[in-house]
Amino acid sequence: MLGYYFQLAFRNLRRNPGLTMLMIGAVALGIAVCVMTLTMYRAMSGNPIWWKNDVLYAVTMDFWDPQQPNDDKKPALPPPQLTYRDAMAVYRSDIPKHKVIMHKAIGIVSVDGQQAKPERAATRVTTKDFFATFDVPFQYGGTWTDAADSGPEPVMVISRKMNEKLFGGVNSVGRRIRWNDNEFRIIGVRDNWLPLPAFYDVNNGALEEPEDVYIPFGWNAALEIYSAGNTNGWKPEDIKTYQDFLNSENVWIQMWVELPDSATRDRFQAFLDNYAREQKQAGRYQRPINNRLTRPDQWLIDNNVVGNDDRVLVGLAFAFLAVCLLNTVGLLLAKFLNNAPLTGVRRALGASRKQVFMQHLVEVGVISSIGAVLGLALGGLLLLGLRALYTVDPTDAGGTQALAHVDVTSVVTALALAFFATIAAGLYPAWRIGRIPPASYLKAQ
Amino acid sequence: MIAWNIRPIASALWRNRTGALLVAFQIAIGLAVLVNAVYVVKQRVEKIGRPTGMDTANMIWVASAGFAKNYDYDTSVREDLATLRGLPGVKAASLFSNIPLSGGGSANGFQNRPGEVPPKESVPGNNYDVDEQAIAALGVKLIAGRPFEAQEILPASKTFDTSPQAIVTQAFAKELFPNDPNPLGKTFYDGLSKPIVIVGIMEQMQGAWVGWDKLDHVVLFPRMKDGPSSIYLVRTEPGRRDAVMRDIEAKLGDSNPGRLLRWVRPFDYFIDQSYLDDRNMAIFLVSVTSALLAITALGIFGLATFNVSTRVRQIGTRRAVGARRFDIVRHFLVENWMVTTAGIVAGCGLALAIGYRISVEYELPRLDLYYLVGGVLCIWLIGLFAAWQPARRASAISPAVATRTV
Amino acid sequence: MLEMHGISKIYRTDLIETHALREFSLKVGDGEFVAVTGPSGSGKTTFMNVAGLLETFDNGTYRLDGDDVSRLSDEQRSKLRNEKIGFIFQSFNLIPDLDIFDNVDVPLRYRGLARKDREQRIKSALDVVGLSSRMHHMPSQLSGGQQQRAAIARALAGDPRFLLADEPTGNVDSLMARQVMDLLEQINEMGTTVIMVTHDPELARRAHRNVHIVDGQISDFKPFEPNDDVPSLNVGQPVPATMAPA
Repeated sequence: MLGYYFQLAFRNLRRNPGLTMLMIGAVALGIAVCVMTLTMYRAMSGNPIWWKNDVLYAVTMDFWDPQQPNDDKKPALPPPQLTYRDAMAVYRSDIPKHKVIMHKAIGIVSVDGQQAKPERAATRVTTKDFFATFDVPFQYGGTWTDAADSGPEPVMVISRKMNEKLFGGVNSVGRRIRWNDNEFRIIGVRDNWLPLPAFYDVNNGALEEPEDVYIPFGWNAALEIYSAGNTNGWKPEDIKTYQDFLNSENVWIQMWVELPDSATRDRFQAFLDNYAREQKQAGRYQRPINNRLTRPDQWLIDNNVVGNDDRVLVGLAFAFLAVCLLNTVGLLLAKFLNNAPLTGVRRALGASRKQVFMQHLVEVGVISSIGAVLGLALGGLLLLGLRALYTVDPTDAGGTQALAHVDVTSVVTALALAFFATIAAGLYPAWRIGRIPPASYLKAQ
Repeated sequence: MIAWNIRPIASALWRNRTGALLVAFQIAIGLAVLVNAVYVVKQRVEKIGRPTGMDTANMIWVASAGFAKNYDYDTSVREDLATLRGLPGVKAASLFSNIPLSGGGSANGFQNRPGEVPPKESVPGNNYDVDEQAIAALGVKLIAGRPFEAQEILPASKTFDTSPQAIVTQAFAKELFPNDPNPLGKTFYDGLSKPIVIVGIMEQMQGAWVGWDKLDHVVLFPRMKDGPSSIYLVRTEPGRRDAVMRDIEAKLGDSNPGRLLRWVRPFDYFIDQSYLDDRNMAIFLVSVTSALLAITALGIFGLATFNVSTRVRQIGTRRAVGARRFDIVRHFLVENWMVTTAGIVAGCGLALAIGYRISVEYELPRLDLYYLVGGVLCIWLIGLFAAWQPARRASAISPAVATRTV
Repeated sequence: MLEMHGISKIYRTDLIETHALREFSLKVGDGEFVAVTGPSGSGKTTFMNVAGLLETFDNGTYRLDGDDVSRLSDEQRSKLRNEKIGFIFQSFNLIPDLDIFDNVDVPLRYRGLARKDREQRIKSALDVVGLSSRMHHMPSQLSGGQQQRAAIARALAGDPRFLLADEPTGNVDSLMARQVMDLLEQINEMGTTVIMVTHDPELARRAHRNVHIVDGQISDFKPFEPNDDVPSLNVGQPVPATMAPA
């Protein structure tokens, strides 16, 4: 019976090719726009560390201006970064399973004896646990030790991309490399890693590629490195030297911890609150104690990674899909009603209402399947076009590469969305056509 | 005498309302989307079109990063500036601490009197450390005062430090000294109560972040940027920009082995980058809205065509009993107009609701009613246009159809 | 009132040329009841279309109330149909989405009459055909005979010069058929000219005059002889009570 319905469906669709193409086109277009917008939205709003979402926490403390909050629009939130003093103090705790304090910097990287020109490299100045905390994979070697952080020792981890550029992709562990003309030794090569959005450091841009160079945290003091991210301060301070900067109330350090269960979490929270209380008693700040441990998904929300624009576009995409589907329903209805005399004959010859309904639903299903597949293909094309829109300088494409990268989940979701949305759209016309009394269409009039 | 037939058309339409309702919903959504899209796009276009105050078409930014251990920053900068200023076609070149409209920069709070002031009275300003050719290199118009003089330029400081003089924008000065029509020569202070005298006022200039509502608050200090990386601003004669860019690459590229000439870029590069999101948003909105309206028009066309094709006999009969061709066209246009208007009425509510939401989320002024009026007129026109051809085809149906049997 | 002289109508397709009407001439005076008869394919429908100004003709002259209609524009012809001709179709052609009142209203609207005028005309037309109680029913709620009567009311409401009826009882059962014919006779007696096209000799007999078309031309052949086996209705007798309108 199903096979017969398919035969009928194809025959019907072929009879009026213009109308059929119109319907498939409307569905495909609606789906394509949705796929494009939803993929973009996912890139911005997805949680790239979802499997660790319950154990990772961003550490923030509210040592800000007593007279106004850090962000007027979100007055309950502390500033997203810590001061150097606070970061160093809190880092001493051994309660967390993993702990990271870090910031972004810029350095010039060169290899002695190479023809290639020195290159500017985005650098992450971080403690050793960065890789373990965020499940960052290594291609060769591994991270450094605590001693390397405090030393600091001239060791470095570079990215696979940089390794391929500088050393042709071989295992470069042990090779020498210069950072701002200081000699370092490579102890690890980080494999390809592109978490989108870059949740661990929301300061500069959600779609940025991760840094190519990692050096131990102690180097900022040793080389007087300033942050290449955001440095904010509420208090006018007379900062003359780098040491003044380290001692100041400027916030520029990001901190993350891994707390495997609620007991550990509570202990760490107590530790933070205790530290804050001590600082308050020492007269350092006057805001109420507001130490927050924030999970990655909430962190992304707090930091407005998904902007208004993204939400508006998703809304627009759904409005567009709705119009496409309404259109398709209308066209289907018109088509089926136009065919009513033939349907009347079928009913007279013994087809039940349910059979008529099924026959028409199959026809709708054919349209929706074809439309869904086409829509997906079209959506993919649109995403490629999207990349062009986001690239001012082609060599700078960076994280926007991922916009064109539609993963399996997205594909499945989009296909399902397309198929079921159209079936839903076709339910009413298919039902309606079954309801018409056969006699009314068998008359000559 | 024109017979409008509104009541009979309406009751006949109501009896077959499903198709009409489907189209009316599309129209409602179409109106809501059209009105709000135009609103948002207009805001973005205005945002991108704000006057910069600078001669951006003829400005080049150059980035140099010193990295060698023995890199002599001060000498390098002196040499670089001399080279740049000597290039043919160059009007001025200056050392800058940051690039305006690039999304990166430094901002601080300033006040109009020493001592502690409440946070509400701290006036934020985008601050840049620049040298004596800055005003010439920026191409900004000074409405009062003078550019910096060479002897005023202080040596570099690793951390933020003000200078005794500053050149500020009009907007910044106005917020600092709201009651003073001519704040030239007045003294303002940084957070540590260090005094700064206003020696020049720029008509307009923009700072680092295009999304910041204080974009036009700029404070220029006469001070060298600290090393080891330097940023140069070069202003060329009109039309010479690209040639000068090539010259700069050639002259500075390998001139100093202790530093890397990172890039030489036109100002447009940074401006385009800053406004990329806004520009793309506008493009998306225009594209999707147009597609949506096209599909809605298609729906209207489809409904009208369907109505004509199922009513051939009725149309023939009407013609037989005396309807002129024009009466038939009018009949379908009126019917179509009713469906469109029903959609518009529903869409108005939707448009205003969405407009309200958007104005709250984006902190924009409320949706002006004339957007709504414009949107309604536009939809009416689209409806008319889409239904025209089916209506014409209907009027071509011969009255002899009425006498046919089957 | 109506004068057709030497009318020809030719239908042309790429392959065939059909002479639907050939040198057709007909004169109808005021108050006449004329039946146009002929077998199927004879050109009756074409005659209807030409007489009713639904189609143009290729040769000959057609004068309606003395005016030559051949050079009229489509708009002028529509006006003429509206004011002078009342159509009664074989398949009623009532508009299914409108109730009876609105259906009768249709030609009046095109004439641009004021609301009160129209209402009055509609009511009296429905009165004549005996459907006043069904004014706000939908056509689908009426039987075939009632629908045809409604169509007659529509034709009447505009005070036409003549009624042009195409197989008026074709889609109606025999009981109702008589009622429809009686109605037509009644209307004719009230002064309206009636031209009826039919293939049924029984019906043709009730007219004053018969015109017979064969192959697009008038033929002298008389279509029937009076036959005692076939009961005949007497013209002019009142309708028996059992057949009064429902």
